[in-house]
Amino acid sequence: MSSIRVVVGVLGMDQHELGAVGIAKMLRDNGMEVIYTGCFNTPETIVQTVIEEDADVIGISSHSWEYLYYTPELLSLLEQNDLDIPVIVGGSVITEEDAKAMLDKGVAAVFGSGAVVTDMIDAVRRLVPDDATS
Amino acid sequence: MKSNTTRSNIELRPVYGPNDPNADAYSERFGNPGEYPYTRGTRAYSGQGWIQRELSGEGDAKRSNEQLKYLMSIGQTGLDVIGDSPTMSLMDPDHPLARYTVGTQGVSLCRHDDYRELLEGIPLEQMSVSSSCPSMFTVASLYMLAKERDISPGNLRGSVIEWPFYAEHCSYAYKMPFDLHLRMSCDVIEFCAREMPRFHGYLEDTYFFSEAGLNAVEEAALGFVEIRHIVRTLLARGLDIDSFAPRIAILTNCSMDFYEEIAKIRAMRRIFARMMKEEFGAKDPRSQAVNIAVHTSGLSLTTEQPANNIVRGAVQTVALGLAGVSALEISTFDEGYRTPSKEAHLVGLRTQQVVDLETNINSVQDPFGGSWFMESLTDEVEAKILDMVNDIESKGDPAELVNSGYFKQFFHGTMGRYHHQVHDGEVVKVGMNVHEMPAEEDTLLRDISEEKITPLFDRVEQIKRFREGRDHPRLLDALDELYGVVQSDENMLEAVIACNEAGATMGEIAGILRQAWGTPYDPYGHLESPLGARR
Repeated sequence: MSSIRVVVGVLGMDQHELGAVGIAKMLRDNGMEVIYTGCFNTPETIVQTVIEEDADVIGISSHSWEYLYYTPELLSLLEQNDLDIPVIVGGSVITEEDAKAMLDKGVAAVFGSGAVVTDMIDAVRRLVPDDATS
Repeated sequence: MKSNTTRSNIELRPVYGPNDPNADAYSERFGNPGEYPYTRGTRAYSGQGWIQRELSGEGDAKRSNEQLKYLMSIGQTGLDVIGDSPTMSLMDPDHPLARYTVGTQGVSLCRHDDYRELLEGIPLEQMSVSSSCPSMFTVASLYMLAKERDISPGNLRGSVIEWPFYAEHCSYAYKMPFDLHLRMSCDVIEFCAREMPRFHGYLEDTYFFSEAGLNAVEEAALGFVEIRHIVRTLLARGLDIDSFAPRIAILTNCSMDFYEEIAKIRAMRRIFARMMKEEFGAKDPRSQAVNIAVHTSGLSLTTEQPANNIVRGAVQTVALGLAGVSALEISTFDEGYRTPSKEAHLVGLRTQQVVDLETNINSVQDPFGGSWFMESLTDEVEAKILDMVNDIESKGDPAELVNSGYFKQFFHGTMGRYHHQVHDGEVVKVGMNVHEMPAEEDTLLRDISEEKITPLFDRVEQIKRFREGRDHPRLLDALDELYGVVQSDENMLEAVIACNEAGATMGEIAGILRQAWGTPYDPYGHLESPLGARR
């Protein structure tokens, strides 16, 4: 079995990268392969990266409310491309209410400011079935 | 901090004694406030305290103008404005990538008309305007506004940030080559020195990049690397050091490491003074005495239990009052979620006022001066800063280090390190990694903190309509003229002002700068240059 491949990025004009860099490091420390796309992504560039890199899961880090608009766009773009790839959203600006709304729209997991890293790692492992990475 | 070391790993001893009993060293190492090397403060005792302001900017210029007037009505003594992410990145609101963030994390400004509306009714000859918005455009518009109002530009006060070294990697990217960004900064500083001599055309902002998880020593060291490179570049243009150095100021961060933050500010004043006098030959005492303003750390705040952030702001304000700073903005209790709400503005300003007016803090200048502990810590922080500056400069030309990605890698390292420190509890955050509370009980001030600012979709349409209504031949002539100036050695400010007068937007001007530098007009690949076949 090869390691889980995670695309990590920030959307739109959100330029607070600290969380994304921190998460990318922790995922790598836990044996995952991270394709780090940095800032200035759109749903289109994320989907393109997912296709090119044959990724298993998408992690969006957010310190701006832009994710509220971009994430649903990303989900429908994945669907249009027949990509069954779980999307995880994390970031300190995410409120309880927004987290519920995101889950309702089809986001696989949401992590706010107080999230525990082991929970995030577990979520990634839970969302990616073993055969997906083989 | 849980251990007996500072954030910069300086070991704290339980007791400090006189480590330099030689009284002759006093004038060399400290000096009285207002005397070289300005360790104890840049001015002799005035008892006036600091300029009190809060970060502002929300929605469009009109809404932000109302915000500024509200802040002045509750006692703000200076202005501090930040743009939304597109504005801070030289992008117009109708750029496709800007659509969901216009006016949500600062004010949307892209034309001279916007600056005029932002500052309508603000007495520019009396109020200092500190702007985090792109310096070239802020200075151009302030200069134009002064002329429009029959005020001498020489009477304008305030500051703009120059951040050619680090903004691209850990803050607001201009998507420009480093050399072009540096040229813009130097042109602004040179223009201000000539036309707006009371205005600080160069605020070295160590705040924003230190929020990438840097400690106090790293913050100051990277700041001095940038200052030294910019000063050398200006000297190489043939400018006299005393023509611009009096208007260099520094904006630092202030974390919760109380003693070290005070020591950092004292050490930075001394390093700056010695560097200016001994290395760069500055003779004017104002060139040697650097004013330090502070923005308290947003990173030190938490989204959990937001009321705790009010306490953090108060503690940081006390530290800065003791350190003797020239101006202060508190990161407000709702910082984790948003730019300050009206309620947070009130609390932030009232915090400053309580510390200023109720504690006698301004009765004594540099009250820590001569403290065995504080002088020892100041010396150690200073030595570590200088070591790090030397270390970085020994790696090669700092400009080359920017281009080779050295600093980008450095920031990624500190971001990852900070993440670990918080996660492991090495950096203690009450309410986040100790003394947590179930989410359903954590309700105090949460409703205000979580209230959202809706993107200004109307603003996008407004700017599209504005574009259509301009005198296009005049606009293109002005942009074409600017293109030529960029390719010459001339200062670009006058050509930028002419573009403003012709109705050019900031995004267009920035695009022409990039294009004339041989890089894409729109780095995101969505827009075409208006010069089209002309260039």
